[in-house]
Amino acid sequence: MTPPALTPVQAKRLEARRHRLQDPTLHLRLGVLLAFVLAPVIVPSFQVTDLLLKVALFATLVASYDVVIGYTGIVSFGHAMFFGFGAYAVALSLGKWGAPTYGHLLAGFGAGIVVSAVVAVLIGAFSLRVKALFFAMITLAFAEFALILAVQLSTVTGGEDGLSPKLPGVFAAAFDGGRLLGIPLTGRLITYYALLAVCVALFLLMSRFVHSPLGRTLQAIRDNELRAEALGYRTFVFQIISSSFASVVATVLGGGYAMWVRYVNPESTLGIPIMLDVLLMVIIGGIGTLYGGIIGAALLLAARTLLPDLRGLSASLFPGWEIVGRLSDRWLLYFGILFILVVFFFPKGVLGTIRERLSRRPPGRTP
Amino acid sequence: MKARAPLAVALALLLLPLGFMDLRTYLTLTVAGLAMGMLIFLVAAGLTLIFGLMDVLNFAHGALFSWGAYAGFAVAALLNGRWGWAASPSVAANALLLAAAIVVAMAVTVVLGVLLERIIVRPVYGQHLFQILITLGASIVLEELIRILWGPNDQVMPVPATIQGSWDVADVVVLRVPVVAIGLGLAIYAGMQLLLNRTRIGLIVRAGVENGEMIQVMGHNIHRYFTGVFAAGSALAGVGGLMWAIFSQSVRPGMGGEQLIFAFIVVIIGGLGSVTGSLVGALMVGLSYNYVAYLVPKAAIGVTMALMVIVLLLRPTGLYGTAK
Repeated sequence: MTPPALTPVQAKRLEARRHRLQDPTLHLRLGVLLAFVLAPVIVPSFQVTDLLLKVALFATLVASYDVVIGYTGIVSFGHAMFFGFGAYAVALSLGKWGAPTYGHLLAGFGAGIVVSAVVAVLIGAFSLRVKALFFAMITLAFAEFALILAVQLSTVTGGEDGLSPKLPGVFAAAFDGGRLLGIPLTGRLITYYALLAVCVALFLLMSRFVHSPLGRTLQAIRDNELRAEALGYRTFVFQIISSSFASVVATVLGGGYAMWVRYVNPESTLGIPIMLDVLLMVIIGGIGTLYGGIIGAALLLAARTLLPDLRGLSASLFPGWEIVGRLSDRWLLYFGILFILVVFFFPKGVLGTIRERLSRRPPGRTP
Repeated sequence: MKARAPLAVALALLLLPLGFMDLRTYLTLTVAGLAMGMLIFLVAAGLTLIFGLMDVLNFAHGALFSWGAYAGFAVAALLNGRWGWAASPSVAANALLLAAAIVVAMAVTVVLGVLLERIIVRPVYGQHLFQILITLGASIVLEELIRILWGPNDQVMPVPATIQGSWDVADVVVLRVPVVAIGLGLAIYAGMQLLLNRTRIGLIVRAGVENGEMIQVMGHNIHRYFTGVFAAGSALAGVGGLMWAIFSQSVRPGMGGEQLIFAFIVVIIGGLGSVTGSLVGALMVGLSYNYVAYLVPKAAIGVTMALMVIVLLLRPTGLYGTAK
């Protein structure tokens, strides 16, 4: 009896699995991870660890956004809103009910996830019924609404001033676990590794998600919605699953961000600026690459930390020139120009362009 | 019957708040709401024109709104500063000032619109994702340019003395600026309807909505019409911005972004590509916002969202939209 014939997709996947360990990018990924793990030990400065963890959090956030925009092909402007939901849920849960415990922390994450999932499904149900195109407008409106709500309900959310939660147990700033192999175990360090682990886990989860049969269906919808529908897939349901999954991931990251920064306000978690950052990161890194977010986040956040120095430089070079001062003040202008240029000339982003070049190169050995 | 349903809903909504307030407050709020609706209509009409014909989601529309406001503001401030045209009680000077501001606001936004269409939008026709991204980038640049040229802070808009203050009509306080805005909005709506339905250009534009390729086969340069429609939509945004600046007596760089959200909601409520839908949607948003802002101030933004959600639940294509 002959074994059952494999479908082309199954055969291809089997082939890919056989060569998994020979994949050069696997070593690259492991190298990046190793750098993230070792960096705070080698360079024990707060600025470095702060930048690294923000890169990790934002890279994962950008990847989750990529699941929606790059793998499903729907543009959402509400992704930062879900990030903010997570941040607020954790901050509120830790701050409002007495001394913080691990239970409060978990409850905060749980509540944020539930709220985000419900809101994401509802928004999807309203807007995806007609056209995925509506999604951009409606999510923008909802994000604005959430921002106004956070500012207005100042008795709960602290309004513009925001909240500064205190963390429980080993995550607390005052925690001191002595020394391990000569490295001081502070609350900061433990939080760093815990959140790094969360980011890695979420990355693996998303990678699994987009490479699963479900993820393939999403890519089919992205490439040709009518055809996917004609093949019998309920595109509407798949789009809702994708956007809610990504929203939940963003919520967890928002909670992580609140744990690391220990400060939550509308501007820094819910606002449109965060959304613009994420959009720019995903475009620089490459839409539909998942790992491009690491490049985008690293470039943008590094530039952001270096920018104040540049501003001081230009002020000392042209003293008394108001227009120059204004020009260097408006860094968002250069963001906008960069944004347009990247969309024009590198529509695939850094990683997308590299991948395209590599795949165009004649294969060295036949697989 | 089905075609009248949206109108009946709008009328019912219009009369509902009478149960919660006295007639005089109601009329004052209604005038204010109509004015706000008309101003939103100007923005939304341009947006829906651009979307309807060119299938372009223009996120830079709000920035054009701000540019119109600032261009008008610059003219008004200049004329008022040199000859005091806004402060003087002379009707002729006031009218000249208003006319000059409107003309300059439109001219500036038309130029910006043409540049935007030629440079930014043309390479990405048919790719919605990139359209959204690139027009978003353009809106950031345009808004930042305003901040560089005029500074980042609020500024006071000089308003002509003639249209300041209010009339007393049968004990009802009728502010003059809203009346001007309503008049202008109605005139523009009538003009758009005439242009679209009664002229050859309108015929070609409407045919272009249906089938752009066929129009090209018939020997019309559709790209030229695209540029024209984009410029017209931009001019509408510019006038809307100027009127909003006069209405609120101030200009801010971020004013366009806030109005853009309203405009999106209106376009969704009214149905994509329908000018009449935009008018009805804008009036519904303007009126309900004013009524609720008076009754329950904190829920004012929420009611707009609620309106959108309800309309989408009942009619997923919007009030006057057709399924594409």
